[in-house]
Amino acid sequence: MLNFLATATAMIAGVTMVIGLLSDPGSDARAVAALVIQLVAVTGAIAVLLGILNLLSVHLGRFTHAERGWPYSLLVLVVAVGVIVLRILDRAAIWSGDLEGEQLSPRVFEAVQVSVESALAALVVFFLVYAAFRLMRRGVTGWNVLFTVTIVVALVGWIPLEDLDVFAELREWLVRVPVGAGARGILLGVGLGTVTAGVRVLLGQDRSLRD
Amino acid sequence: MNDSALIIVVLTIAFSATLIGAVIARRVAVPLRPIAAYQALPEIAADAVESARRVHVSLGSSAVGEPGTVSALVSSEIAYQLAERMAISPYPPLVTLSQGTTLPLAQDTLRRAYEARQRAAYFRPTQVTWYPQGPRSLAFAAGASSLAADSDVFTSILLGRFGAELAYFGESAVRHDQILIAHSDQPGGQAIAYAQSDRPLLGEELYAGPAYLTRRPLHVGTVVALDVLRWLVILAILFTALQAAL
Repeated sequence: MLNFLATATAMIAGVTMVIGLLSDPGSDARAVAALVIQLVAVTGAIAVLLGILNLLSVHLGRFTHAERGWPYSLLVLVVAVGVIVLRILDRAAIWSGDLEGEQLSPRVFEAVQVSVESALAALVVFFLVYAAFRLMRRGVTGWNVLFTVTIVVALVGWIPLEDLDVFAELREWLVRVPVGAGARGILLGVGLGTVTAGVRVLLGQDRSLRD
Repeated sequence: MNDSALIIVVLTIAFSATLIGAVIARRVAVPLRPIAAYQALPEIAADAVESARRVHVSLGSSAVGEPGTVSALVSSEIAYQLAERMAISPYPPLVTLSQGTTLPLAQDTLRRAYEARQRAAYFRPTQVTWYPQGPRSLAFAAGASSLAADSDVFTSILLGRFGAELAYFGESAVRHDQILIAHSDQPGGQAIAYAQSDRPLLGEELYAGPAYLTRRPLHVGTVVALDVLRWLVILAILFTALQAAL
């Protein structure tokens, strides 16, 4: 019975969305589709809330049972509570003096998260160059050579020296023509794959809808 | 032809080709082009069970309710096929993701896989780990690949939505002698997957996964539909290019 309900709900929602997309703006069908999207947004928010509660309960369990890595769990709990409290204080506009009118929670987020992400991003280029090297070790095929030469041209093209202008122009051409075409090809493929997989969902044949 | 008419045409072709393909697949075996990653997956699951080691599946930032919904559904179907084969092992698969809305889907997928093998008692929701970092997060990749290394996984399978953070998974896989199967529905992540993975999945190959792993007629039908649509797009591009040139 539950499977039937899940399948029927998914199929009806899918068909409603398709009809809504094909209808004129302002029509009833478009309004119903917008309602479905709002329901999805609310359900998504509840899912995130459940996820946070799940995360906290898992780490609380690890901490109380002193499982391996419990200090990290304690850190997660302390930071989670700290951020929630900070957010509440932000909303209450409790800050005075220099901090009056400030939102501290986004500032803390930027100070920690953005710094960590920036530091990690700086390492990506080394990983990629090493990956190109390993690719050639796996086998010197035409495609692998093309990939490596393209990486070298792109990296050299970034060097701001006058004598290397030709590489900069070549890099720009690469990005504009073959890379642009390739990216569009991949996105087209992904789009077509999404349509065919969506057909399976609309037919109620996706495994997530049945046991 | 306006957008609405185009959507109707594409959907009609997709539905018709899927159903015709499913009917054909029910009567005769439809040969599928070999894809190295899907040929390796059953062997990886068998090796994991025999060698008592874990497999790491990451769904990246594929999110239910967002543009990556279908990627999340297809990736979870592939995770199901893997988990079902590995459910008899005391070393369950490890699933990581960075979108909260995908967490219930991933947990439910593993639960159903264990129930299908009548091993529901051995399912633990903590087999799925959520890193609440949001899309394309390098911190998520660093944390998840570190967890995979600590959990002694011997294969990492990355399916769905990844950006530059995929490089972290790849680097960690190389350092810990893991087999890496990778895919991304984003061009940036796809390029990295090609460079780092032993057996990359390219573009729409992800969506053909259920057909390769289950051989169910309807799934094979969607592969037929995918091929029909692909050839139609190629012909349309050639036709418009010729029209512009003449």
